[in-house]
Amino acid sequence: MASNAAVPFWRAAGMTYITYSNICASMVRNCLKEPYKTEAISREKVHFSVSKWADGKPERPTVRTDQPE
Amino acid sequence: MAMAALRREGRRFTPLISPNPIAAVRSSIMPAEEQVPLGVRSISTQIVRNRMKSVKSIQKITKAMKMVAASKLRAIQSKAENSRGLWQPFTALLGDTPSVEVKKDALHKLTAGPDKETKYVILGEKAKAQLIRDSKKDIVLNITELQKNPLNYSQVSVIADDILKNVEFDALRVVFNKFQSVVAYLPTVSTVLSPEVVEKECEAGGKLGDLDSYEVEGGETKSEILQNLAEFQFSCVMFNAVLENACSEQGARMSAMDSSSRNAGEMLDRLTLSYNRTRQASITTELIEIISGASALEG
Repeated sequence: MASNAAVPFWRAAGMTYITYSNICASMVRNCLKEPYKTEAISREKVHFSVSKWADGKPERPTVRTDQPE
Repeated sequence: MAMAALRREGRRFTPLISPNPIAAVRSSIMPAEEQVPLGVRSISTQIVRNRMKSVKSIQKITKAMKMVAASKLRAIQSKAENSRGLWQPFTALLGDTPSVEVKKDALHKLTAGPDKETKYVILGEKAKAQLIRDSKKDIVLNITELQKNPLNYSQVSVIADDILKNVEFDALRVVFNKFQSVVAYLPTVSTVLSPEVVEKECEAGGKLGDLDSYEVEGGETKSEILQNLAEFQFSCVMFNAVLENACSEQGARMSAMDSSSRNAGEMLDRLTLSYNRTRQASITTELIEIISGASALEG
């Protein structure tokens, strides 16, 4: 039962299940052979911009992207 | 007989024409043959022609936009329909229970009706423009530029992750347009409860009482599993919502562009009709003038 009480290692590292599963997914994608590999990796592109709001005003948006500009 | 009638018409017109000040001025400068006022001999068709040209080019543009929307829709529709399989198991397991009472709500996309304590996370520009008017105090996050790449799960899950980290909630309600057909989409609310609320409901034996009959395998406790599940459920629901919404948008755009190109077509028909009629009228007037002039010389 001692191991049950412990938090999983990835949660201890401050990840959520989503981040964890995404990392696992990209690992699996990297294990594919060409040409499936590039096709699968093209499906994990991330690009969006987030802006937090404080007191009814948007702050400067931060762009999160994995592509070079 | 007809000639006589024409002659009479011509005579009747002369006094009507001469008081025209422009014609009077012109008549003093111009030679005698051009004593007809401008409006009668050559009705300007320039304006109508320009109008027709612009309507025609607008129609071309809307047609092209419709084509673009249709092809985008086809790609995204299959994706959206496939992604429905992602959240359906969750609904079967945890249920979609909008009626569960919660204190803190976090809503995504646009929504109406004040709740106990509502915070908004907005994806895209449309909902932002609306919500900024009356509840900009409650907006926590705003995410834009989603559709630069084709929508994919990784991106949506990163967004979901961001939301989970930044917003405290008891229940997340995802508000989106569910795609029904090209012209119909239902505003839909999906609820994702936080693990604590799920557990509480489960113990209380309410709507989620069945959850106790599942056995938990492996070395994790139930609350851990529930937390993982809730997070994963949220990202799946978000993924589906984003796709359905994009699908509805393309559908709406396609039908709007379709009706506007049809509208432009109707307008073009009307303009063509009036253009031809004016042209015909000016030709007829000229003929009348020539014939009546000729017969006046004869008689």
